[in-house]
Amino acid sequence: MAKLLDVQSLTKKFGGLFAVYDLSFHVDEGESLGLIGPNGSGKTTTFNLIMKELKQDEGEIYFKGKEISKYPTHERVKMGISRTNQIPRPFSEMSVSKNIRVGIMPDELMRIISMNSQSDAERKIGKSVGFKEHALAMYPRELSMGDLRRLELARALATNPKLLLLDEVFAGLTVGEIAELTELLKEKKEEGLTFIIVSHDLRSLATLVDRVVVVSFGRLIAEGSFKEVIADEKVQEAYLGKQHSQI
Amino acid sequence: MKKSLLLWAIFGALMCLLPLFTSTGTLRVFIFANFLAIFAMSWDILSGYTGYISFGHPFLIGIAGYTTAMLTRHTGTPLFLSIPLAVFFTMIGGTLFFFPALRTRGTYFALVTLAFMEVTYHLMQVVEPSLTGGTRGLSGLPLLFTGAIPNYYLSFFVMFVIALGLWALTRSGLGTVLSAIRLDEESVKSAGLNTSKLKLFAFMLSALVAGIGGALYTHYLGSISPRNMFDINFLFTILIAALIGGEQSIVGPILGAYFLTFLLEYLRPYIPGAWRFLLYGVIALLVYYYAPKGLYSIFQAGTNRLGKKIKRNEQYGQTT
Amino acid sequence: MSGILIQGFLLSGLYALIAVGFTMIFSVGRVLNLAYGVYIMLGGYVYYVLAQVLSLPKIPSFLGAVLAGVAFGVMTYLFLVRGLKDNPIAVEISTLILAVVMQAVIILIFSPAPRSMWPLIPGVIHLFGVTISKNIFLAMIVSWLVLGSLLVFVQKTQVGRAIRAVSMDTKGAVVSGINPSKINIVTWALSGALGAIAGVFFATYTQLDPAMWVFPLIIAVAVVIVGGIGSIMGSLVAAHIVGFLETITTAVIAAELRGVFTLLLIIVILIIVPKGLMGREEI
Repeated sequence: MAKLLDVQSLTKKFGGLFAVYDLSFHVDEGESLGLIGPNGSGKTTTFNLIMKELKQDEGEIYFKGKEISKYPTHERVKMGISRTNQIPRPFSEMSVSKNIRVGIMPDELMRIISMNSQSDAERKIGKSVGFKEHALAMYPRELSMGDLRRLELARALATNPKLLLLDEVFAGLTVGEIAELTELLKEKKEEGLTFIIVSHDLRSLATLVDRVVVVSFGRLIAEGSFKEVIADEKVQEAYLGKQHSQI
Repeated sequence: MKKSLLLWAIFGALMCLLPLFTSTGTLRVFIFANFLAIFAMSWDILSGYTGYISFGHPFLIGIAGYTTAMLTRHTGTPLFLSIPLAVFFTMIGGTLFFFPALRTRGTYFALVTLAFMEVTYHLMQVVEPSLTGGTRGLSGLPLLFTGAIPNYYLSFFVMFVIALGLWALTRSGLGTVLSAIRLDEESVKSAGLNTSKLKLFAFMLSALVAGIGGALYTHYLGSISPRNMFDINFLFTILIAALIGGEQSIVGPILGAYFLTFLLEYLRPYIPGAWRFLLYGVIALLVYYYAPKGLYSIFQAGTNRLGKKIKRNEQYGQTT
Repeated sequence: MSGILIQGFLLSGLYALIAVGFTMIFSVGRVLNLAYGVYIMLGGYVYYVLAQVLSLPKIPSFLGAVLAGVAFGVMTYLFLVRGLKDNPIAVEISTLILAVVMQAVIILIFSPAPRSMWPLIPGVIHLFGVTISKNIFLAMIVSWLVLGSLLVFVQKTQVGRAIRAVSMDTKGAVVSGINPSKINIVTWALSGALGAIAGVFFATYTQLDPAMWVFPLIIAVAVVIVGGIGSIMGSLVAAHIVGFLETITTAVIAAELRGVFTLLLIIVILIIVPKGLMGREEI
């Protein structure tokens, strides 16, 4: 199994505080990794660093064996990494379809200009995340939270990623929506997509992930299968026992 | 799409026939409106679409104007050479000075362009007056055409071609990605697009159009001076035209330019200089606050309703 | 040589005042207030009307000018900016339009011709063998006093700390119970006051002119870009760099070219270190 993503000794400081400290982990091709930890433990920061939305102070990031620290965000996306945002941020003045279109657009001027509407590709992606035909013309302000999260996923999938970073995909969803989304992600996993999921909803996470990495205060405190990690004392302590009742 | 092409064709045809119905005085007003439309469109393709507000368009227009003015006046370069050279220099110079700011953030870009315009205004008055004509500028420049009618057709033809070109580009994927940059540039990067490249392209288009407009305008007036090129009031006029007309539409700036020009003409006998800017400013603020999509949205609503009426009548087999 | 050093130092004090008033709004409200130069213009014109036309004593006239700045600042926020708060681009444009409108208003009231103002303190003093006008010297002292008090205010008082909180993280500040709307009003009022104070001196240093709102903006731009956002120290350092650059250019090359070198500096900084010498990370 080849390592698709290999993060080594990642460190990021904000003012006097270490958001991420000496963090190392990897994800194999086809694997789904859970990234969990209490609030403020550095999970979103880690995603930001992988996507180059932030620059690390120290450490290296290897993707498909290549060190990618010098590449800007859009290059990393072209290499095959994509993410959803913790708080959905769709293009507010564009329909669902057009939102997806931006993700599909290739980074070549001539092709962008010759591309008018991509309705087939957009429809396909939209449907694959569960949008009905009529929903494609709707605007973000008309969508429910579940649909907004679907849109985030659709936009991330539109770039044809090998590695998908999912930041809190389940937050704010109804039980039904969570079940639908979980099914969808399982399908994608079967299709060969690799992903890292950040979620506070450990129950939903449990069924999706092969392995889990736990961070607290920016440091790695445990790694292993879901069962191993949950039983780990350090992990329980980090969560202050609050998450026990979830399992 | 078909409806739009039809509208363009009607517009083109009407404007071509205009000289048959109007006096030369009115034609000259139209000429000015056409040039203002060119400048407003050049502003829109960059600032309206990407949201990187440029306060430096007078700077770009001025480079073009001064380059062609100085080339024709001091070296006797023929117009068919000096004008393309002027456009070329505008694109090069504009990119050189503004790209560092364009790469960063919209706010920095706005500030840098403002600074450039202001400094150039003062600079052009004092640097090498023998070349630039100093405060008074240069006059007696060669004209492309004499007479209102040929100039009218020139200004309209250039404006129309530019309008169609920009309009077609913005209806393509380019318009989508540029407006996406305005809405959320970070997300566009996360969608795998190189926003610096896209912004640069929009900027070069903008500079190209501004350069063409600036060079041709200079050879229509036959003169150029810092006051009529690098002035805040000139910037203001272009901005208001684009805003009142409707940002991010290419058509809006044309409507805005015509509206503003004719408003100016109509009010000229009644309202002295400074009041005009006060009036424009207040109108602009009101439009911006209450009808941010500008005249274009009104225009669109109108044509939509007309289109629906025609369709309905066809369905019932009646003639309109 | 010492003449240049002293002149540069004096000018930089004034530039620092101008710049800090501008960056405050940028840091706290994340919006560009292009009407900032109007506070400077108002400061100058109101002082002129009170002290020279109405012959009121200097201190009340000065306070009157400051009040005008505060009032205009707060009104700009309440009536223009607050309604557009989700649209920073709209704020950029509408504040510029406002500035041009105010320029038209000034032209209507005062006529477009520039006017000179009497210095606040006439006469010169001799410092280290250099002759400097008392007016500029006063300008520098007042600037530093004001900046010093501002620093104390921002670090020691509750309102001041609230302002810093909002400038660092608005959402976090709200969660801590700070009312961003009130903070904004205070910030815009302060910005107006700082601008007006700077304006009184700036007008005596140059002259009253309906277009005088543009140049201070350019100074503020240069300081923001060179120094970076989010750091008062950065603004101070940058103000001195710009101030000295201009003074040296004026003395050694030519007064008209000083703007050019400032612009070149801006471009160089943007290319090499885009977030400024001491700026916080771009958020």
